[in-house]
Amino acid sequence: MAGGNARGADSVTPVLEVSGYSLSYATPSGPVHALKNVDLRVTHGQTHGLVGESGSGKSSLAWAILRYLPENAIENDGRLLLSGENLRDRTHPQILEIRGRRISMVFQDPSTSLNPAMRLGEQLSEVLIRHRGLSLQEALEESEAALARTGIAKPGDMLRRYPHEASGGEKQRVVIATAFACNPELIVFDEPTTALDIITAQQILELFNQLQDETSISALYISHDLGLVSRVADVVSVINSGEIVESGPCAEVFRTPRNDYTKALLDAVPNPKQWLGVKEPPSEAPALMSAKGVTVEYGRQSLLGQLLAPKPTHLGAQEVSIEVRKGELVGLVGESGSGKSTMGKVLSGLQDFDGVVRFGDRDFARLAQIDRAYRRAVQIVFQHPDASLNPRQRVREILSRPLKLYDIVPREQRAERIARLLEQVRLPPEFADRLPHQLSGGEKQRVAIARAFAAEPELVICDEITASLDVSVQASVAELLVSLQRQTGTACLFITHDLNLVRQLAHRICVMQHGRLMDAFHRDDAEGPDRNPYTRALLKAVPPPASQAA
Amino acid sequence: MTLGYLVRRLLAVILVLFVVTFAVFAITMILPGNAAVMILGEYGTEEAVAAMERRLGLDRPWYIQYLDWIGGILRGDLGQSLRLSLPVADVVGDAFWNSASLAVTSLVSVTVIAIPLGVLAAIKRGTVADLVIGIFSYIGASMPEFVTATLLLIFLAGPALGLFPAGGFVSPGESLGGFSSHVVLPAATLGLILTAHISRQVRSEMSEVLSSDYIRAARLKGLRERRVIRRHALPNSLAPAVAVISLDIGYLLGGIIVVEEIFAWPGLGRLLIYALENRDLPVIQAITLVLATVYALSNLLSDIVIAILDPRVRYA
Repeated sequence: MAGGNARGADSVTPVLEVSGYSLSYATPSGPVHALKNVDLRVTHGQTHGLVGESGSGKSSLAWAILRYLPENAIENDGRLLLSGENLRDRTHPQILEIRGRRISMVFQDPSTSLNPAMRLGEQLSEVLIRHRGLSLQEALEESEAALARTGIAKPGDMLRRYPHEASGGEKQRVVIATAFACNPELIVFDEPTTALDIITAQQILELFNQLQDETSISALYISHDLGLVSRVADVVSVINSGEIVESGPCAEVFRTPRNDYTKALLDAVPNPKQWLGVKEPPSEAPALMSAKGVTVEYGRQSLLGQLLAPKPTHLGAQEVSIEVRKGELVGLVGESGSGKSTMGKVLSGLQDFDGVVRFGDRDFARLAQIDRAYRRAVQIVFQHPDASLNPRQRVREILSRPLKLYDIVPREQRAERIARLLEQVRLPPEFADRLPHQLSGGEKQRVAIARAFAAEPELVICDEITASLDVSVQASVAELLVSLQRQTGTACLFITHDLNLVRQLAHRICVMQHGRLMDAFHRDDAEGPDRNPYTRALLKAVPPPASQAA
Repeated sequence: MTLGYLVRRLLAVILVLFVVTFAVFAITMILPGNAAVMILGEYGTEEAVAAMERRLGLDRPWYIQYLDWIGGILRGDLGQSLRLSLPVADVVGDAFWNSASLAVTSLVSVTVIAIPLGVLAAIKRGTVADLVIGIFSYIGASMPEFVTATLLLIFLAGPALGLFPAGGFVSPGESLGGFSSHVVLPAATLGLILTAHISRQVRSEMSEVLSSDYIRAARLKGLRERRVIRRHALPNSLAPAVAVISLDIGYLLGGIIVVEEIFAWPGLGRLLIYALENRDLPVIQAITLVLATVYALSNLLSDIVIAILDPRVRYA
């Protein structure tokens, strides 16, 4: 992958030039416009960031460039030029020669974009065999070298592994090595770090910058995350509803955004220095809930199961102690597999545990002791409202369930209470008659939050409630949570992987890793000298966006 | 594949078979009228029955009888048929090989036809080919085998065409041509439902795999469609299909009883019906045990094949 490009290396012709390109999809209810009159240029050696929220059309543009459009796509006007050649004029066999060789792609989630039944080596070397006519042996040797350049310690060993035998970061390195393998003119990166853990994502980003320096490849870097794009891109384009609303050098766009949408996006990026949360309860306030030495062992088997197919158990949580005071918001931070969601399940009464959970003046020592009163007082909001709201129930039924179950208000006052709950989560009262699929992602999450608060809880556990939402929606959901806290005085355990966000909301932050509680600190001490090394690594991996750094 | 995985699966099979022997034995003990009554008929005197029980060892405690029976099985001695006056092992053994020749013929042709058909339907999803395969599958899956058998007999073995014999059996060792012409109709009867079932299964698995991220990734590497289908898609969609095929073997073992009776095929199915009609307990026990063993072993085989196709299973 070292060395210059064979084709289109002159500085005049851009590697990619999209001009006046429009795309729509035919649907039973008429065409839906995905891209409108898009202009975009990637010059040689440049990284062009394309930023937009879900449904903005950013992925449609990637598929159009790779000529991988669904059958109902209608291309209207415009040109897609790769080093001056219009890709729209190319036949399918010609496109097959271009894909993987002249344009390649790095995907969002390496755990789904790699074939689970093939060794990593075969998946990497097949592009070399296909496009460079190498023999299997040559291709494997070349693959090993390519993998070594992505920073994998034992590339030969990695080539013989299957995807499930590699970590997320290792898999994404294989995908990146595959994309670079044929030294293409352009690489499209589609949210390459979104599915990875914070620290791994940071390493992949560093790898990207290193490879970019070494090879001066041209890249189209698609992301929803402005902060992240500011760290890799030279030029950035912001796309909204299929239109490029602003485009320019990265630093300039971040410093002086001209478009309102860009400004709104920038404002929505969590800034740890900007406090949103409620007033901190006095430090001498007694604990509302305190978990002491909670341990969860996954994979316990029946006696017969142990005989036939013994599997090792693993500890989802190990001797974890967490405390939440009345009216407080405690952040629980960790990467996937850290045990933070396990703790959420334990505290909401969904998972058996060893240890003690003290709530108010009562002690609970295992799942079976968790009773109705506890379940009313502790509510949970899940990450995916799509999965946690019954698709066949109207919002009215969804919200009336807790009201009935815990007998919160008399029957005749239910309708009135539902209207008030909707108002509290800033949804119009007529939403009571809607079904979940008639709501947007953010609206669904508001309904889920309203359901949790309907039980008039003393503690609400929020398990990654903003993770599946767009940046601008994330901010408003976080704000909503805080305003509900202010109105009701409910305490909150906010489980998240987003350190910048949680620093805006939480009074105290607990950090978990591999099922253990690594660190617990007051928000003022986040950058203090006595922080655990792991906490420091996490903080370092998510610097605040460029515009806020100053 | 790890050795440990194989050993564990094998232990599981042995455990299952042990439970089966126990169940078979218990059922024959619970059935009204023991072997002595059956041999002597309903009108045997009490003294005669008691004498016969002593002769057959039926007056011993049940666990002694069970251990005696199990010991016999392990030595290959399944006892004496009550009606045919022949060793059970010989009677059941001959029938087993006859049935096996039918079942294997059927299963192999089903696999060879159904998998490509399912793959084709998935690739050509939404086209005429997919529709035709779909309709054929619905009809195939909804016809019971006695209907299929009757239709096949009328059209292909009837006086009009007379392409195949209406029934009977020629062993493959004797005449391969004779075996082939006799096996076509019963194998087709057994195979039709399975073909429909398996091809639909393969189609749905394949469709799902074809819409997965890693197939998209493979296509975006510029790979030719043939390699995408054969190397990337097929192994992933076959593993679930193999699981279904092994479940279908259970169906096949049931279907064989009906089909053998219709086509006068001298296999386990016919023998089982004969033994049931004549209350030939040792034969019933032996056949049940053989069927259970075949089923358990075919499941083991499918687990091994799945582990080869899907590396994630090997260490599970």
